[in-house]
Amino acid sequence: MLVTEFHHLVRLAGEMLPPNVALLWRKPGLFETIGTTLAMTFLGTVTGCLLAFVLALVAARNTTLHPALRSATRLLFGLERATPNFVVLLVLFISFGYGPFAAMIALAIGSIGMFGKLFADAIEEVEAGPCEAVELVGAGRWQVIRYAVMPQVLPVVVGRSFYAFDVNLRAAIALGVYGGGGVGFELQLAMKVLRYADAFALILLIILLITGMERVSDAVRRRLLPQGVLK
Amino acid sequence: MLHVDRLTKSLPDGRVLLNGISFTVSRGEFVGILGASGAGKSLTLRCILGLTKADAGSARLVEPDGRSFELTSCTGRNQREARRRMGVIFQGFNLVKRLRVLDNVMIGRLAQIHPLRSWLYGFTDAEAEEAVQALRQVKMETYADRVTGSLSGGEMQRVAIARAIFQRPSLFLADEPIAALDPSNSLAIMKLLQPLSRTTPVLGVFHQPEMTARFCTRVIAIKRGAVVYDGAPGLSHAELEEIYGDELMQVLRPTPPAAPPAGSEPGPAVGLLLPNHPS
Repeated sequence: MLVTEFHHLVRLAGEMLPPNVALLWRKPGLFETIGTTLAMTFLGTVTGCLLAFVLALVAARNTTLHPALRSATRLLFGLERATPNFVVLLVLFISFGYGPFAAMIALAIGSIGMFGKLFADAIEEVEAGPCEAVELVGAGRWQVIRYAVMPQVLPVVVGRSFYAFDVNLRAAIALGVYGGGGVGFELQLAMKVLRYADAFALILLIILLITGMERVSDAVRRRLLPQGVLK
Repeated sequence: MLHVDRLTKSLPDGRVLLNGISFTVSRGEFVGILGASGAGKSLTLRCILGLTKADAGSARLVEPDGRSFELTSCTGRNQREARRRMGVIFQGFNLVKRLRVLDNVMIGRLAQIHPLRSWLYGFTDAEAEEAVQALRQVKMETYADRVTGSLSGGEMQRVAIARAIFQRPSLFLADEPIAALDPSNSLAIMKLLQPLSRTTPVLGVFHQPEMTARFCTRVIAIKRGAVVYDGAPGLSHAELEEIYGDELMQVLRPTPPAAPPAGSEPGPAVGLLLPNHPS
């Protein structure tokens, strides 16, 4: 198969090279699509991680409202993790139509299963002594969460949320290909109209974007995480 | 005032942990509870705090204004009301290490501000100033902005005491507050607790009879879940032997002879020879 069809690959490579890098500054609105991808990743990650944290409080043994709710939330996380992102997107297309908004919601939902579980595990590992001490000054459940659990768990939550952003950026491009808008959609378009040199330029752009954003999120996280900055 | 009346607690297998503990702690008292390990000292405190449910008996906290709280049976809001009136000091300090020292002190008054306020913006400047006062009382005011996790054990226990002071309780409970500290820090902590007891009674569990003899106004000894001594802090050797049994020698000499600091130790023979070694 690889041997008999190899000439197709060679021809494709021939059409892709050289990449039409000029496209990056010639094509009107291309940077807007990058903005769209970044925006849906950012909003999806923030919404997803916030929801994941709230649900994680329910899913953690030491902060849950009821053991039954804890198992139910854990089950929900498990089911969510087992559902591919683009399946969620396909369903969302029905209610929100094609475009970045549906993709953003899909990313948010996609973050909940994975990061909800990670956050819940982190909450369960919090030191019990300080929580007991805050409880014994007469504080209520929410105050214990705010003053004993959150200060201990926030560095983990923020660190993992940055990781979630990296993961979601890759997913955002894939979801774009399925019709979620942004750079992924442009790539899919270029492929469909057989402009392979344009597509290759876009692929290079995507690689640059992902590695660049990883650097940025790393730098921001390092700034944010030293002791005492987050409370 | 704290009235503990015939507290009883057994395990499901029938083993009796507390067998009718009764005592009273009044104004101006610094009461130390002694007893061998497993005698039921800490468990008594846990029952008073409502962390462990007693099978029978009661513990009642009576406020100076006459309000009283049934500590063994209250729940929910009532229990929180009762708990905010007891300042607890733990063996393991139980501070939130990632918060500043000042924040840890202010946690003491969480139950006394509106929950919504505690979530949104926390404490006012006036309260912060008062918290610094509490830190001053334990000589830690210069540490207010430090991250708590960077403090030593003795310093952390001082901060924990400041947290309890800031809580404005009507009773201090200390669960082995000096068990994790070296002798000089233990002494310093006892010297902090003693003056507190003049205005607010202090009830503490201790392992060092020489400390309770020196600082407490009264000592209660618990053996196998029952009070076997309640009286003057200076116990005779015979009385201590009766309380501790085989454990007595460890209690009277709690710390092994101090090892010389690392570095001052003579190194192994080969190390001593090295300077003259041909290579």
